[in-house]
Amino acid sequence: MSEDVKETPERDQAARDAARALETYEWGFSSDIEQEFAPKGLSEDTVRFISAKKNEPEWMLEWRLKAYRHWLTMTAPDWAKLNVPPIDYQDAYYYAAPKEKPKLGSLDEVDPEILRVYEKLGIPIEEQKVLAGVEGARRVAVDAVFDSVSVATTFRAELEAAGVIFRSISEAIREYPDQVKKWLGKVVPMHDNYFSALNCAVFSDGTFVYIPEGVRCPMELSTYFRINAENTGQFERTLIIAEKGSYVSYLEGCTAPMRDENQLHAAVVELVAMDDAEIKYSTVQNWYPGDAQGRGGIYNFVTKRALCQGKRSKVSWTQVETGSAITWKYPSCVLNGEDSVGEFYSVAVTNNFQQADTGTKMIHNGRGSRSTIISKGISAGHSNNTYRGLVRVAANADGVRNFTQCDSLLLGQSCGAHTVPYIEVKNPSAQIEHEATTSKISDGQLFYAMQRGLGQEEAVALIVNGFAKEVLQQLPMEFAVEAQKLLGISLEGSVG
Amino acid sequence: MANDYSGMTVNERLFGAGLLDDYDRTRAQGDLTKLNELLAKVGLRFENGSHWDLDPSFYMLNINNLHATVADKPILKGLSLTINAGEVHAIMGPNGAGKSTLGYVLGGRPGYEVTGGDVTFDGTDLLALAPHERAAAGLFLGFQYPVEIPGVSFVQFLREALNSQRKARGQAPLSGGEFLKLAREKAALLRMDMDMLKRPVNVGFSGGEKKRAEMVQMGILDPTLAILDETDSGLDIDALRICGEGINAIMRKPDKAVLLITHYQRLLDYVKPDFVHVLAGGRIIKTGGPELALQLEEEGYEAVA
Amino acid sequence: MNLAALSMPTKSDEAFRYADLTALAGVWPVEPEEITVPAGASEALSIVQDAASGAVARQLVVTLAADAIFDLRILNLGGAYGRIAVDARLGEAAQFTLGAAQLGSGDQVLEIVTQVTHAAPDAVSRQVIRSVLAGHATGTYLGKVAVARGSNGTDSEQSVRAMLLDRTATANAKPELEIFADDVKCAHGCAVGELDAMGLFYLESRGLPPEEAKKLMLQAFIAEAFSGAAEEEKLQSLALKRLGDML
Repeated sequence: MSEDVKETPERDQAARDAARALETYEWGFSSDIEQEFAPKGLSEDTVRFISAKKNEPEWMLEWRLKAYRHWLTMTAPDWAKLNVPPIDYQDAYYYAAPKEKPKLGSLDEVDPEILRVYEKLGIPIEEQKVLAGVEGARRVAVDAVFDSVSVATTFRAELEAAGVIFRSISEAIREYPDQVKKWLGKVVPMHDNYFSALNCAVFSDGTFVYIPEGVRCPMELSTYFRINAENTGQFERTLIIAEKGSYVSYLEGCTAPMRDENQLHAAVVELVAMDDAEIKYSTVQNWYPGDAQGRGGIYNFVTKRALCQGKRSKVSWTQVETGSAITWKYPSCVLNGEDSVGEFYSVAVTNNFQQADTGTKMIHNGRGSRSTIISKGISAGHSNNTYRGLVRVAANADGVRNFTQCDSLLLGQSCGAHTVPYIEVKNPSAQIEHEATTSKISDGQLFYAMQRGLGQEEAVALIVNGFAKEVLQQLPMEFAVEAQKLLGISLEGSVG
Repeated sequence: MANDYSGMTVNERLFGAGLLDDYDRTRAQGDLTKLNELLAKVGLRFENGSHWDLDPSFYMLNINNLHATVADKPILKGLSLTINAGEVHAIMGPNGAGKSTLGYVLGGRPGYEVTGGDVTFDGTDLLALAPHERAAAGLFLGFQYPVEIPGVSFVQFLREALNSQRKARGQAPLSGGEFLKLAREKAALLRMDMDMLKRPVNVGFSGGEKKRAEMVQMGILDPTLAILDETDSGLDIDALRICGEGINAIMRKPDKAVLLITHYQRLLDYVKPDFVHVLAGGRIIKTGGPELALQLEEEGYEAVA
Repeated sequence: MNLAALSMPTKSDEAFRYADLTALAGVWPVEPEEITVPAGASEALSIVQDAASGAVARQLVVTLAADAIFDLRILNLGGAYGRIAVDARLGEAAQFTLGAAQLGSGDQVLEIVTQVTHAAPDAVSRQVIRSVLAGHATGTYLGKVAVARGSNGTDSEQSVRAMLLDRTATANAKPELEIFADDVKCAHGCAVGELDAMGLFYLESRGLPPEEAKKLMLQAFIAEAFSGAAEEEKLQSLALKRLGDML
């Protein structure tokens, strides 16, 4: 299949066109930090290079190699409603790091280039204040994953005083090997799927969070991802463990620079919640979606899964997906604990030639476990937007409740909106309800809003935000504002 | 004793002597000696001291020190009450006192767990019976919120229910014609259009229509004891009168009894109770005649308690 | 029949995701039964699939021309494996109704698999599927509604309900929408649960023994699938008889 994607003059031309169209992508910019690359291509040597580069212990290298060998035996999934061009895994770099720098004592020492990148990323004002060290700023700890390697972590001391461990995963592997070993690959096994196996083999960096028993994390934890280097696949790895009675809210925000070539991203996120623990995981994903002609853009194949292991444990996924050319993502909950709770709130916007196949799985194994799924899909342009969900109730899980609401909004005649819910029930006491509706923005609604003085795009943004309100209101404040703006920006030019 | 108690029920005897409150309290305490002292004053005594009130001729319904929980929460906490044939009792009380719970416990609703005490109905252990067996034994529960059952017509449902009851009692089933005649007669009594009975059970019925349909069912099923849970709620003045008159026509008979569960006096204007009980905190705290209901209406529960 | 239809499906074929492939192999390939409803015509069909044992599988391919009306009712009782697949293609302003009930017990595997394609504007489809499953039975509904580009004015509804009588039974459902037009009304509702406890108590408190009360509730549950059918009474009474055997 590598023959199919050999660089051709057409592709290069497309890339140059895309680069010229830079101004149409608000956050398309590029910074020029020096990179240190792994050799191009994927082999056992690449895996060894990454592991060595990160000073990993032997067990970690073995684990990666095992995953790599397994990955070689697998094939990419083809069941999603996605048209994925063949990906040449040998034509990509799997590791890029800013050159090693001395450990930073304070934010002042952070490379000004990186700080400028943050600024362009539009990090919410509250967090900019935090980064600028303003007294009395709302506490948000930012672990910046910059080109796959953590370069700055704030508030580490305060978190440590609370007993919270908030580290890059590479640091955690070295400093807390037992904690990492206990859960890494347990929620999402390496053989789970093609992309999770790939991630296990070559993950570059990511985040490790540990909230001890009874601790309410004193601040919201926030990670900004940034894909920057050319030809660098991003393979983030996140592991969050919430011990008994603990609570953490984790924010993940992504944006990407203008890209001239498709870029693969295959993250794995694992969450573990013990008795009475609660994890709130919010994502705003705004990677480069490709241009108006469907050229370029990120391929996002993410595996996110939570294990609600403890009694009354609760995991809440909230996502606003506006970016990427291709999204393949199903943040899920395995509800093992009695009376555990899983929630999935999603807004997915696709425009131009974007394709999204996203949803969730709620696996009810525990008695009295409950789940709620609210999915809002908005399709515009020539895009395709699919909700795919699974609700499964095991035979022994008495008293399970699920409610699912899937709404699709279509803007225009050339897009597609699809709903694929799977419901599998083996226990008679389960109460499973699924509802789906499809609608469009009516001319009447648009005219009404415009007659009152709104521009057409403002009117669309207003109506779309209303449509997505149930999900947006689940987001922490600073994210909600950004997300609302994103919905409007993502749909620019879709009605006219 | 000079008093002539012939033809009077136990409750009437005790109430006439001003001993009913004392008697119910004593029963709840389980003091057999004192109980027989009280009963002696009205010319009665228990023949069998090992169990309360085993003589079925005493009572149609005998609730003795009843405790019940809903979702592990205690609601009834030692409720005692006796009802004789020919009597109409009203139970009043503030919200959350356990009024509806009493109705559901007597009807046998799953999830309403009896944790203590006993109930006999015409001398048999009511609590040992399944809900449909209680119905066949002659107990009717009028629901505060009658349940909607789409797809099943009233006519089909009631005919099956009546014939199940008749079968359980060793009676021959009614034919379709006989049943329709009976249904028509009872519907007319409650001024309900027969066409409504051809519709699915309670589906699309207004609150008042549902209550009238409950009374039609009571007429058709012809129970000996009707426990009517807030039959008056959701009724306008006319419907209230129609239901009240229906209850009197169907249930005001020497061999039948009624337990009205209600918040208000207004139904009692039409169905005059012989006894009024105040239920609070899961037990009967006061018993009186019809004037007690009027007093409650005037002064509220707190004044009485 | 094309060659692809001849090759035996596997579990990774979406339409056979929950199928009993061993049983299916015995009756494969399934010869499609073509039904064409001409423009403006109105036709109705009831299917009672009640083989005592073994596997039965049918594949209906229905084409509705413009303004055609087709009313299809299915009572799927078996055999051991009972599959009815329906492909319906709707022309302009065509109306398609599917009312189906499947009642399974023992180790039965029953499935109703539909693909309803709104190929032209203003067509209406209504699907009502009811499953009652006891013992170790599995009941599946895989229903896809596809709205082709330009099929504005599409009006489609799927109402899918399943009732499990034992904890060893399984209900699967996949009410799927694939929509390529924006001026459409497409909705589906799916619910799996057990009989309403309050409703059962209400019936029992009027004197119906539990079995009878259950039967009556289940009868009401499946009634919607057959309501308005030309053979409503026949289908209902056959269903009721099967329910009686199951309880």
